[in-house]
Amino acid sequence: MLTEGVLAGPRHAADEPAVPAGAPVLEIRNLSKTFPGVRALLDASVTIAAGEIHSLVGQNGSGKSTLIKVLAGVYEPDAGATASVRGEALALGDGKAAHDLGIRFVHQDLGLIDNLTAVDNIALGFGYDTAAGGRIRWRAQRERAALALSLVVDDFPLDRPAGTLTVFQRTALAIARALQDFGENGSLLVLDEPTATMPRDQVEHLFTLLRRIRERGTPVLLVTHHMEEVFAVSDRVTVLRDGSIVSVEQTADLDTPRLVSLMTGGVHRKLERGAGPDLEQVALSVRGLTGDTLKGLDLDVHRGEIVGVAGLGGSGREEICALLFGAEKRTGGEIAVDGKTLPPNDPGEAVTRRIGMVPAHRHTQGLILSESVRRNMTLATLTDFVKGGRVQRKREAAAVAEHITAFGVKTASAEVPVNTLSGGNQQKVVLAKWLRLKPTVLLLDEPTQGVDIAAQADLHQLIFEAAAAGTAVLVCSSDEMELARISDRVLVVRDGTVHAELDSGRATPHNIFAATLGTAPDDGAAGHLDEDLGSDDRTAASPTLSSSPVSSSDPVDGE
Amino acid sequence: MTAPATTAARSKGSGPASGVAGKASAGSRILQKLAIDRFSGVYIIVVLVVTFCLWIPQTFATQANLRVLLASQAITGIIALAATVCLISGVFDLSIGATMSLSISMVGVLQATGGVNPIVAVLISLAAGAAVGCINALVVTRFNIDPVIGTLAMSAVLAAVSWWVANGETVLYGLSPTFVSFGDIVLGVPAPIIYLAVIAVIAWYVLEHTPAGRYLYAAGANPVAARLSGVNVTKLTWGALISSGVLASAAGVALTLQLGTAPFAGGVSYLLPAYAAAFLGSTQIEPGRFNVAGTVVSMFIVAVAVRGLQLRLPDAPWIADLVQGVILLLAVGFAVWARRRRIARG
Repeated sequence: MLTEGVLAGPRHAADEPAVPAGAPVLEIRNLSKTFPGVRALLDASVTIAAGEIHSLVGQNGSGKSTLIKVLAGVYEPDAGATASVRGEALALGDGKAAHDLGIRFVHQDLGLIDNLTAVDNIALGFGYDTAAGGRIRWRAQRERAALALSLVVDDFPLDRPAGTLTVFQRTALAIARALQDFGENGSLLVLDEPTATMPRDQVEHLFTLLRRIRERGTPVLLVTHHMEEVFAVSDRVTVLRDGSIVSVEQTADLDTPRLVSLMTGGVHRKLERGAGPDLEQVALSVRGLTGDTLKGLDLDVHRGEIVGVAGLGGSGREEICALLFGAEKRTGGEIAVDGKTLPPNDPGEAVTRRIGMVPAHRHTQGLILSESVRRNMTLATLTDFVKGGRVQRKREAAAVAEHITAFGVKTASAEVPVNTLSGGNQQKVVLAKWLRLKPTVLLLDEPTQGVDIAAQADLHQLIFEAAAAGTAVLVCSSDEMELARISDRVLVVRDGTVHAELDSGRATPHNIFAATLGTAPDDGAAGHLDEDLGSDDRTAASPTLSSSPVSSSDPVDGE
Repeated sequence: MTAPATTAARSKGSGPASGVAGKASAGSRILQKLAIDRFSGVYIIVVLVVTFCLWIPQTFATQANLRVLLASQAITGIIALAATVCLISGVFDLSIGATMSLSISMVGVLQATGGVNPIVAVLISLAAGAAVGCINALVVTRFNIDPVIGTLAMSAVLAAVSWWVANGETVLYGLSPTFVSFGDIVLGVPAPIIYLAVIAVIAWYVLEHTPAGRYLYAAGANPVAARLSGVNVTKLTWGALISSGVLASAAGVALTLQLGTAPFAGGVSYLLPAYAAAFLGSTQIEPGRFNVAGTVVSMFIVAVAVRGLQLRLPDAPWIADLVQGVILLLAVGFAVWARRRRIARG
């Protein structure tokens, strides 16, 4: 088992070359996990070697999260699974045993306390450095925090509340905290989708941090949805599909289309746009919209049009949907829907006027996690089923069953709590809630955040269908690829106002990203990401991109 | 893949499987029919009743005891529903005990000293409960004061008001005989248990079958997401707190007509049993959420246990408090444990 150099998964050992990276650190063999009626993992075997960054990829529901949760001790595996860390047996399903063997987890929500500083957050869960009488030795504690942070990142602001840090800084803080007692016995850092909510311009900082950890000899297991990240940082990649491991590959031997086809089983979804926008009719008209960071935003969205909004963190992009819907109070500006003024700060009125909003944070804002799929889907349109003051549950259930099929929601039933669904399917439920309304205006804030490529394609198709049916769609997203793929035009927000407008011909990921930085698109400004991204066919139409190498393969539409 | 395909098939539980698997699924089918997880409370009541009937037949297994049990639980049940409605909406109302006291004082003093028509006295008392609910709602939604603190403070204020209304005296005489007759035995059961049944059915219908109930559950579980789905969460909080005020007042009225006297601080001791029933109720019938049927069932578990032990240990007046406290802790502990188990098992 521990023979040096033999690292590939058992089914591939024969036809794959030995990996030179180092000795196996974590070995999991024959891991299965069955939930009532669902096989989440089937006979999965994974090996992580010393000094590697190892990506674990797969679509939502492929078993990635289950694997991580079994390793972290949240779930108990089915009988028969074995695991070892540096040759020492690890009881799967036991969180403390994993911790004792030096496995550290940084989960997607990071687990920071927003109103505490880095010093306090570092102490959480590991205890404070105390003197006699229980007094906290603040100076020593501070030094400990500074040391822990210095191992992963330079120049960290120790005294700012965690809530005021950037997403990257928060992630770095969570990683430093997880690794602080790592020492010589540390064996593995597991990161669960660390970039899901991270703005693009900060992702490279995270990669630098991960390489630094790797250089210290600690392997990193990175769970991710993003192709570009797999290629940018990882040495090897394990691909899960439908609960089974389909491939373990050297990243260098792979390219995007091959990886996508491994993940999806070769099934691509071709998006169909349907009818185009009706430029005669303005459905949503916004003048001078002002909030915390927005300073007088003007925009129009026509019936059947999909307008994308790009912008860096702090540009004001994050506020737009919430202000338009009335979730947050606008401090100025006029909003008109179908020519009629919309009052501020009244989501109930917005729903009455057939405005829907998919918020950026589906767990806290989009869904009622403990309630069933059915109840979540009909929450905004419950009155459709009311007769004589009573909710007609049979009619409701029938409608929900139809939506589940039509929107391709994978769920054990309509009655299970929505938190049992995978991220992509949860997001379909949020979108279904609003599509039920047959909205005049649909506001989408990061509609495919933390969602795999197949579910993303499904969601994009649903958005296209809504637009074809006449809905005016506004998509605010930090994912330039997404904006380029689905928007009829893209507005770039900077310093609280519209800084540039790119029509569909010019709205390439590269151009969008460059415009968010406020610079004319060129190599330096466009940065690292686009080169790995693989871009859209439309790039050819861009006159400014001649110096930038762009591949023409689209990971979703697949030609 | 070397998949043991049988497991997946078995877990679907369709059709009789062979051998060991068949036996296991037959056993689990029986368990499923019995729905131990949902109806454990009903079974506990049966076990408790049988135990006490065998243990102390001469005192427990009597019609008189049954009537005492039902009559006392009718009052607890009404106020426990007040607690349930608030908890569903995500708000603690700790003033329900004091509101009940106020209602007792008012309905007693209005009749005995004020000579007011009993029906008018009852209506005024219920209106007072609604007014308390309005003030609570104002404190919670407008001034953004934490409901626990806000209603606890309200509770102290109401205790003072009740004392003032009753002038610190229990109203012993002067209640209208017509009024008191509404606490008599009707159709072989104490009338208040019928009031409880009517109130419980209405509450169940509203919470389970009307949009208002659905919105209330949604708002309680995630007020932000509910608001962003167009639900008026503020209005629901008002509705929940006013309902609990009125229900607490109704419990006070029911207690007064049952006793035939009006003890001005009589509501205080009902606060803990009300919450014990509601929390234990969240592990019953519809596990994982507060619900009317669960509350009623749980209330009877606590009542039977307390009553039986009281009869067995007549020299231990502390037994009721002890049992209620322990059951509340066990109930909440069990609810947390059951949820964790559901998550781990998937």
